[in-house]
Amino acid sequence: MDSYIYIITALLPLTAGMVVLQVNPYHALIMRGILGAVAAMLYAVLGAADVALTEALVGTMLAITLYAVAVRSSLVMRLGVLQEEGMELGSNSFVEGKSKDHVQQLTNALRTLLAKHYMRLELACYPNPKALHQALLAKEVHATCAQPSQRITKESYENKQSTSLERYPYQTQIRVHRLYEILQTELSSLGTTLIDVDAVDAKDSTEGNP
Amino acid sequence: MIDALSYTCMGVGIIFWFWGTLPLLGPRSVLFKLHSLSVADTLGSMLIVIGLLLKIPREWPLLILAILSLSIWNTVLGYVLAYCSNTEEH
Amino acid sequence: MTVVLMAMILALLIPIYEAWQEDDIWQTMLAFASIATKTSVMILVVSVLRDDWMIGVVGAIILSVGNAALMLLAHIIKRMGEL
Repeated sequence: MDSYIYIITALLPLTAGMVVLQVNPYHALIMRGILGAVAAMLYAVLGAADVALTEALVGTMLAITLYAVAVRSSLVMRLGVLQEEGMELGSNSFVEGKSKDHVQQLTNALRTLLAKHYMRLELACYPNPKALHQALLAKEVHATCAQPSQRITKESYENKQSTSLERYPYQTQIRVHRLYEILQTELSSLGTTLIDVDAVDAKDSTEGNP
Repeated sequence: MIDALSYTCMGVGIIFWFWGTLPLLGPRSVLFKLHSLSVADTLGSMLIVIGLLLKIPREWPLLILAILSLSIWNTVLGYVLAYCSNTEEH
Repeated sequence: MTVVLMAMILALLIPIYEAWQEDDIWQTMLAFASIATKTSVMILVVSVLRDDWMIGVVGAIILSVGNAALMLLAHIIKRMGEL
């Protein structure tokens, strides 16, 4: 055995450790590509040409592409908003309404907060509050954002939130509990009230409300 | 004689590799790094493969294919990376 | 010939270190492109060193096909930045 084989072999645990220690999923994908290239070289140097070819084609090309698609479509938060508010976000014409200003502010705050966790924010528009609520129940969106007066509010919750409603005109309902936990830690910068829908539904069912 | 020539080619190729890769460590912009990397790296790789070709002329179709794919792919890849990293900023 | 290979391994360590400490995703992509080219050229060198035709074929295939994965990945990451 020549000495260079040992050095090339040592590169494999080095790059594998880099993949494991990387926290950003997109960087980890590229690290996986580097690991694939180094592994293919090691296999070829050790004499396993077929394994090296498979590693390069499947392990690097196919796996990376599939992982990239999976990471991109899973690390996203879909936020349902009402139609007229959502339309305002795309255009630059800034109407001097307080509500539009508020939604813009809220989505910007959400974007910066989610970027810390390597997630993206996607907006989905719905024509009326009922469709918005249906989409939340049908799991089309992860969270909805609207003024509470427009939605089907539960009486037991109006009392509790009456104080915060005056400060924040918008209310965000979140279906995914982990997202709720993440957003709760930075609640002050968001300027909205958060409701964990899972908890609400569970409590409703125990109380016997429809 | 041919042996010395092939070793010279490989040595110059490796010098090109270091030349192209060392700017990666600096705090320069992506496009600057891409330029040095694509030019010097591709030239270095092609010189190394030419050195190998001089050493074993028997395997010429394989090594010629390697040189061709190196030059074509690295050019295309340079364009694609520059295009992608540029639109990302705007 | 072994000295040549040692120098190549040394040159390979530079982009690996770069990919490790870099935060910008495009600079990491550059390091990946550099590593992909370097490893396949090293496979070719080893094949000539050992006079093994089979390894040489694998090296040429990896060299010509492996870069396609890079371009796919670059486009997907660009789409990610847009949304």
